[in-house]
Amino acid sequence: MKGYYGEFGGQYVPETLIPALDELERAVSCAFGDDIFWEEFSSFMRDYVGRPTPLTCAKRLSAHYGIDVWLKREDLNHTGSHKINNAIGQILLARRMKKERIIAETGAGQHGVATATVCALFGMPCAVYMGTEDIRRQHINVERMRLLGAEVVPVKSGTATLKDATSEAIRDWVTNVDSTYYLLGSAVGPHPYPYMVKMFQKIIGEEARSQVLDKTGKLPDAVIACVGGGSNAIGIFSAFIDDHVELIGVEAYGRGNGKNGASINFGIPGVLHGARSHLLQDENGQVLDTHSIAAGLDYPGVGPEHSYLSTIKRSGYRLVDDSQALAAFRLLNSLEGIAPALESSHAIGYLEQYAKEHGGTTVIVNLSGRGDKDIHTVLEEGL
Amino acid sequence: MISDAIRSKQKAVIPYITAGLPDLGATGRIIRALSDAGAAAVEIGLPFSDPMADGPVLQKASHLALQAGFTMEGLMKNLEDWVSSADIPLIIMSYINPIMRPGMKETLTGFKEKGIQGVIIPDLPADARGLFNLCRDIGIDLIRLVAPTTTTARQKEVISGCSGFVYAVSVKGVTGARTALPEEVSRQVRAIKAMTDLPVCVGFGVSTAEQVDDMLAFADGVIVGSHLMDAVMDESDPIKAAYDCFRKLVEV
Ligand SMILES: Cc1ncc(COP(=O)(O)O)c(C=O)c1O
Repeated sequence: MKGYYGEFGGQYVPETLIPALDELERAVSCAFGDDIFWEEFSSFMRDYVGRPTPLTCAKRLSAHYGIDVWLKREDLNHTGSHKINNAIGQILLARRMKKERIIAETGAGQHGVATATVCALFGMPCAVYMGTEDIRRQHINVERMRLLGAEVVPVKSGTATLKDATSEAIRDWVTNVDSTYYLLGSAVGPHPYPYMVKMFQKIIGEEARSQVLDKTGKLPDAVIACVGGGSNAIGIFSAFIDDHVELIGVEAYGRGNGKNGASINFGIPGVLHGARSHLLQDENGQVLDTHSIAAGLDYPGVGPEHSYLSTIKRSGYRLVDDSQALAAFRLLNSLEGIAPALESSHAIGYLEQYAKEHGGTTVIVNLSGRGDKDIHTVLEEGL
Repeated sequence: MISDAIRSKQKAVIPYITAGLPDLGATGRIIRALSDAGAAAVEIGLPFSDPMADGPVLQKASHLALQAGFTMEGLMKNLEDWVSSADIPLIIMSYINPIMRPGMKETLTGFKEKGIQGVIIPDLPADARGLFNLCRDIGIDLIRLVAPTTTTARQKEVISGCSGFVYAVSVKGVTGARTALPEEVSRQVRAIKAMTDLPVCVGFGVSTAEQVDDMLAFADGVIVGSHLMDAVMDESDPIKAAYDCFRKLVEV
């Protein structure tokens, strides 16, 4: 059926949005079949975002763990994370669709900054929904968005984090559906979003695959990425899906006390924000409170394609908790001179466990973003 | 039958109340009071943690009901009493996830066995044919929404997979009282009525007796939710508040 990955995905939205999703679907299929669209996308990737991003050999980290670690440097993108790839792709689409206004949700603020950036670039009004808890812990990004001319709309409802910001963005979209384009930031939501977002993020995997072949003459044993909604992970996984390469997503285990963001590990299939996927929920079907030190992983759902890949066992999903992520943050700073985002620190944090089980292997870690935004949180936790 | 209940009323108004607010016992008494006050049917909204189609009032109601300890099990225990104490059809409105959690078939069959006559699911899958067939087999109405944005082709598709009544959403947006309703509603309702024999009821935003009368000039019924919950939520006597609020809407 349309927009499903096995039993996951679909379009579970208020009826008002059905025509908007149909319109989006038509625009996506028209644009994706048009070479001019992809040429435009590529030129922005090259001349504005700064792609291709390097694949860096992490020499001291490799020596530390006894495995060869390569870092895909999405932190070096303009605005500091992979989120800009998707934001550029979608705003080009929104312009083709003649939309006048852009809205977005954000957790860590990286997607909000990326969206505010492309809106400044194209001179479009922009509203970014953000939970008040995230506004507190990602304050630098809030100031950046405001400087870029976006309106940051605080969301106090529920847990005041990413899921509530997403609900509020959807409410705005239902209300202003004719004029407004919803620039969703991860591989979640109703069809065609998960597909479209993957198509804009797969550039990560395409580059990484050819870079690793160039530099090592072979494919890696594993590709590792953190999973919030799953966009950086699906972006890098997609290029290796037909290869004999282990695909490992890393979910946020929080403080290990039951509240976490590990939907695939602990969730049950359910519907949130327009799609069916693994969902952290209680026995009454109410969505559970989540926690992760990384705002971008603090979300009870996950993209439907990850649910599918886990079900067919093509990819595996591991756990890293807050303190392991903090330790990884420190380690990468001190060994490689790179400050990873706390989200990406989860992927780095998994290396310790992986190396113990797989000595002598070669891995690529998707370093999805840089950690400047998190210095405040890390200091609070006592660096 | 829901459609008969709507047609038999001179002024068919369907109140919406959030279940479990302030508690399930009170919900039962509010349903009874609304039935006494002349409601055509009652729409019982199940609270959900993430009500993306609701405005501030129903979001708050959902939140408070969950805080007060609403559970599916508790609901199921009460439904039979509610059905037998009211002389009118009861309809359940729920986001899909709480219904899906124990299994669609199990939950819907449970509702049916307790005497619930219809369900409304605001985040139904786009292709709801399978669910419509399931509801038909169980013998419970699946009431579908038609929005101001819905195309004619989609209207036909929705209506062909709908029973009980057609829920015409009056505004682009979420639930919540509005001072003015768009002019296009009458055209929208007339267009739907030309396609189906089912009653067509207007909901979202209706909050005054005048609006009720305006809508009933072309629609078969009106649904009132946020306005009622706003009047009930913080009252020390929510039963009386619900009764009084409803009477004001239907009195000439
Ligand atoms: C740097 C970074 N990595 C990862 C994520 C998680 O999102 P996703 O799983 O969609 O890549 C975020 C989200 O805010 C982020 O900012």
